[in-house]
Amino acid sequence: MSTAVADSSTVRDRMSALWRRYRGENNETTLLLLILALVGVMAIVEPSAITLGFFGDIIRSGIVTLALALGLLMIIISGGMDVSFPAIAIFAGYATITLMQSLGVDGAVWPFVVAVAMGLLLGSLNAVLVARYKMETLIATLGTQVIIRGVLIAFIGSVYISVLPAQLDAVGATSIMQLGGTQVNVLVIPVLVLAGALAWVLRRTMFGRSIYAIGGDKESAKRVGISVKKVQVAIYLVAGALAGFGGMVHVVLSRHASPFEIVGTELNVIAAVVIGGALDSGGRGSVRGTILGVVLISLVQNSLIRLGVSSYWHVFVVGLVVLAGVAIQARSAAATHRRTRILERLETAA
Amino acid sequence: MMSTQRSVSLVATIVAGGLLLTACSGGSGDDVSDGGSDSSEVQIVNVVKLSGGDWFNRMEVGNQEWAAANPGYVVTQTAGDDASEEKQIAIINDLLPQQPAALTVVPNSPESLENVLSRAQEAGIVVITHEAPGIENAVANIEAFDNAAYGGFQMDLLAQCMGEEGQYAHMVGSLTVASHNVWADGALAQAEAAYPGIERVTDAISSDEDQETAYQRARELLATYPDISGFIGAASTDIAGIGRAVQEAGMQDDICVVGTSTPSTAGALLEDGSVDVITGWDPALAGEAMLAASKIVLDGGEIVDGMDLGIPGYESITQDSAIPNNFFGAAWIQITSENVADYPF
Repeated sequence: MSTAVADSSTVRDRMSALWRRYRGENNETTLLLLILALVGVMAIVEPSAITLGFFGDIIRSGIVTLALALGLLMIIISGGMDVSFPAIAIFAGYATITLMQSLGVDGAVWPFVVAVAMGLLLGSLNAVLVARYKMETLIATLGTQVIIRGVLIAFIGSVYISVLPAQLDAVGATSIMQLGGTQVNVLVIPVLVLAGALAWVLRRTMFGRSIYAIGGDKESAKRVGISVKKVQVAIYLVAGALAGFGGMVHVVLSRHASPFEIVGTELNVIAAVVIGGALDSGGRGSVRGTILGVVLISLVQNSLIRLGVSSYWHVFVVGLVVLAGVAIQARSAAATHRRTRILERLETAA
Repeated sequence: MMSTQRSVSLVATIVAGGLLLTACSGGSGDDVSDGGSDSSEVQIVNVVKLSGGDWFNRMEVGNQEWAAANPGYVVTQTAGDDASEEKQIAIINDLLPQQPAALTVVPNSPESLENVLSRAQEAGIVVITHEAPGIENAVANIEAFDNAAYGGFQMDLLAQCMGEEGQYAHMVGSLTVASHNVWADGALAQAEAAYPGIERVTDAISSDEDQETAYQRARELLATYPDISGFIGAASTDIAGIGRAVQEAGMQDDICVVGTSTPSTAGALLEDGSVDVITGWDPALAGEAMLAASKIVLDGGEIVDGMDLGIPGYESITQDSAIPNNFFGAAWIQITSENVADYPF
């Protein structure tokens, strides 16, 4: 898209200025155009596939990914990487259900609180390793992922639970509206509220600015008086809590609990966040971009059967689209020579 | 100061880890010695993938039923606390000095057990396996059924439910799981041979062995092929995900769902017809078939093509044309809302 604009040399300067203005700090507009282009292709190839139910299915499929992506987004902005969130998520979700079963209690809201608390607790493991012992984040979370999953299967249980406690199961069957043939589950609301809250924290609070500052340059952040350690502890605790919540959303939406799930889907979530403009070296990323990244991945995953693509090609096509999304971000990151986003915003405003 | 603290905690961790390991290996041996080794009794040990879990508990029910029907035999079951090949090797190693007459083994990874099973055979122990086609160090590997024939059996059930007419889709755990894809091919071949009115809408679809993915793919199939009236699933979570999608669409009565699973995974969906038939094999009978084969060998007999093991589904076992020590039963079962109570696994 941007090259096409650049080629028309007469209005080139004005167009590129305009583009810079509307591109979004993290290429959100490019991403949106890519999504619209994909939907456009679908509408031409298989017009009958574009139904309200289709969009309902995309929401249904993306909501857990989004819940998990929020915590990861914070960590990636701060210059870290996390692969333990799927283990934290399924631990919190599954352990809460087994706890409810063994105590014989039921509920609709408090299980989510318990899962969040468990997530927070498990996140503190990462916080200690990263903030106190200054371990490389990828290595630390790789370790905690294996440990958390091991403890889950060895001590909590490995049994497939096919029926959830009744009140909690009812949440999984409660919809706020119907899109075509698809029910939109009530859990969409808390996930979107959390996304909004995180966006606000990242843009408007000292804590949020500190996350960007640490990701941009840890040393400079330290010199302007940000306590890197404290911010890191907070990030990993909140990310743990968000993962715990996401795990519970997964369990309730799928209406069964199995300790062998979620772990293995981390690449989808990481891809969504990176496609959304979060730079793996830190300092960049937004909730808006992440939502678009999640939509892009869900869109591709839920459209291939509709388009009549043979299942032997599915993995290949999904990989191709993920690569395209990441390439757009990588190119633009190289092009801007890693200008800090604060400067960029001043420039755009001017 | 800090470093002393750290090294103390390191030592503590190592000691604790060591204790844990000793506890584990002690535990696995106990099961067997408890079984009693009266010299007049023939001892057979059933080594399974992992201890606990409905599947192998069900196999142990079969073991004990067989032992009750065959006086003079004592059967015990043992396994590691997770499905790791290392633990299975260690357990079999520990069993060798106790000289059981026979081992009936369900390997986690057949290749990794070859060594220890060859030592068992050298020590004069009869080795019979299950779910390990191609294993070398066993007198016989008993499979519940031939995979292609099982696919045909699933198609027969689906066709019966669909009135021998309509479109169906086949879901597999992954396009690389050999058995799932042989089932899918077997079903398709049966449809082409016997049911001209039945048509598969697209290639077998992968669920990544994930129920949530199975659910999403099923929703997509329902949207894309509005006339679809049948599904077959291969991974145990496939029909649970498909059944959920069918249930939410309110099409329990219009769509037939047949697939490999267990009552503990998909049984709840049988009630309202979201899932119509669960197919599979009964681990209790598989356990009994292995024991029956062991007894034949211990009595000096040989396992041959067409032999009757005296266990339902294994009345006339077929020898694999490619692998001489591989034998198939026809021990598939179908579980519907009517008989689900008989299969507690």
